[in-house]
Amino acid sequence: MSSVAEVTNAPPGPKRMREELALARRDLQRGLGDWRTWLLLGWNDIRQRYQRSRVGQFWITVSMLVNIAALGVIYSYLFRMSMADYLPSLAMGIIVWALIAGMVTEACSVFTSAEHYLRQVPMAKSIFVHRMLVRGLITFAHNIAIVPLLYLVFGIRPGWRIALAPIGLAIVTVNGFWIGLLVGSLCARFRDLPQIVASFMQIAFFVTPVMWKPGQLPPTMWWVVDLNPFASLLALIREPLLGGVPGRSAYVIGFAVMAIGFIVTIPFFARFRGRIIYWL
Amino acid sequence: MPTISLQQVTIEFPIYNARTRSLTGELFRRAVGGRITSNHNRIVLVTALQDINLELGDGDRLGLIGHNGAGKSTLLRVLAGIYEPSSGQARINGSVASLTDITMGMDIESTGYENILLRGVFLGMHGAQVRRLIPDIEEFTELGEFLKLPLRTYSTGMMLRLAFAITTAVIPEILIMDEMIGAGDAAFLTKATARLNQMISQSRIFVIASHDIEIIRRFCNKAALMETGRIVYMGPVEQIISAYRNGESRPGPGGQLTTAAMDT
Repeated sequence: MSSVAEVTNAPPGPKRMREELALARRDLQRGLGDWRTWLLLGWNDIRQRYQRSRVGQFWITVSMLVNIAALGVIYSYLFRMSMADYLPSLAMGIIVWALIAGMVTEACSVFTSAEHYLRQVPMAKSIFVHRMLVRGLITFAHNIAIVPLLYLVFGIRPGWRIALAPIGLAIVTVNGFWIGLLVGSLCARFRDLPQIVASFMQIAFFVTPVMWKPGQLPPTMWWVVDLNPFASLLALIREPLLGGVPGRSAYVIGFAVMAIGFIVTIPFFARFRGRIIYWL
Repeated sequence: MPTISLQQVTIEFPIYNARTRSLTGELFRRAVGGRITSNHNRIVLVTALQDINLELGDGDRLGLIGHNGAGKSTLLRVLAGIYEPSSGQARINGSVASLTDITMGMDIESTGYENILLRGVFLGMHGAQVRRLIPDIEEFTELGEFLKLPLRTYSTGMMLRLAFAITTAVIPEILIMDEMIGAGDAAFLTKATARLNQMISQSRIFVIASHDIEIIRRFCNKAALMETGRIVYMGPVEQIISAYRNGESRPGPGGQLTTAAMDT
């Protein structure tokens, strides 16, 4: 049941743009206000995925542990690094990367998977972006349970710097919001885009220092890490977890990506918000 | 005070094929410029509604009549705020409930009680508000202990009972229905009808699309005859019904097909 649905369609021009922006803003406001809906939808997604298995959603944690153990052992041999040096950084990297990559790839289905709801009820479109973020954060919360284990096994004391991790998480999540809105809409219109995004994220995984350390690159290749926004987003959460402080450039890039993302996404969403239903 | 105001509302559906749906196809089309101008570079548009003008206020009960594909369901979706007009203006003020798919948002792995909460939250309610609805739903569905079990253990009839009870638990200002809904066996049907009648009479604006003339007679105080996406007649129920019966509307396929180079 929607409280008020007000739709307008003036001829193209500044007046139309203002109206579209106002409607987009209302969608975003209503989306935030409907937090009960997206919290519940996000939780239910996770619950449904693991409903009838014995350990339930802790499969998330278990499969992540197996992943880390396997990759950690093999790659510490491949890179000839000591396990104590390599494994914690790899583990945190994989956990944080799973969050970032998960948000980007699941952004693709934000609206296509909500077709059933959107065709029945005039809900704010942004609700489904929040739902995707909730799902990602719940998964991340299950994986983060591995971190204390790593501290224990490898004797790491992150100290006060761990307090910077939530700040990094907030920056990543807010970036996830514009990505969900933009990529979700585009993927509703162009149905081959999810495959393109999946391939893109595969490449991003290899050029982002998840499995390797920036120091392993020759100095002439500095730009692979320094200009890669994924590397900055990764560092914003991973460094504090390892007891370090992310470089200032990581914060600058994190906020810059956020600003550019919203500057692009808001007019796009205002223009095409009303069209999404026709694309489903 | 709930109001509905449609001015010159036109709805065009783009029909995408695999080529117009793909980004690679789109980029190729842009790159090639105007050289290939065959029809499959264009998007087919179906005009489902054309120049609809409609003003409804408190106490209006509108019945939509017309052949299949006349645009009735599309119009209902505009009224529910789901489709935004391609051109024209639609203003809908008031809480809207559309009883088109009553099982929407129900989760078969969750229990009956959890589903009540789920749907309540969809309607914008808090936990406490939903809990107040529970005694009424318990009594109406007569599902008893089953409400504590997941929906996958329900029969189709039980599921419909629950869906119906939840959907009709809150009365909206604007009620929209696509054909009359009914649920369950004979005994339950009587109960359901009574509950539905109450819901209809308590809503401020009611719009129903139906092929059943008797339904329109019983619940509506005005009617509109639709044909190929337009409202051809609107007025008192009996007048519109006789216009429909006299075959003044031609049965025809849905909206008009056009091809256009659309930007979206």
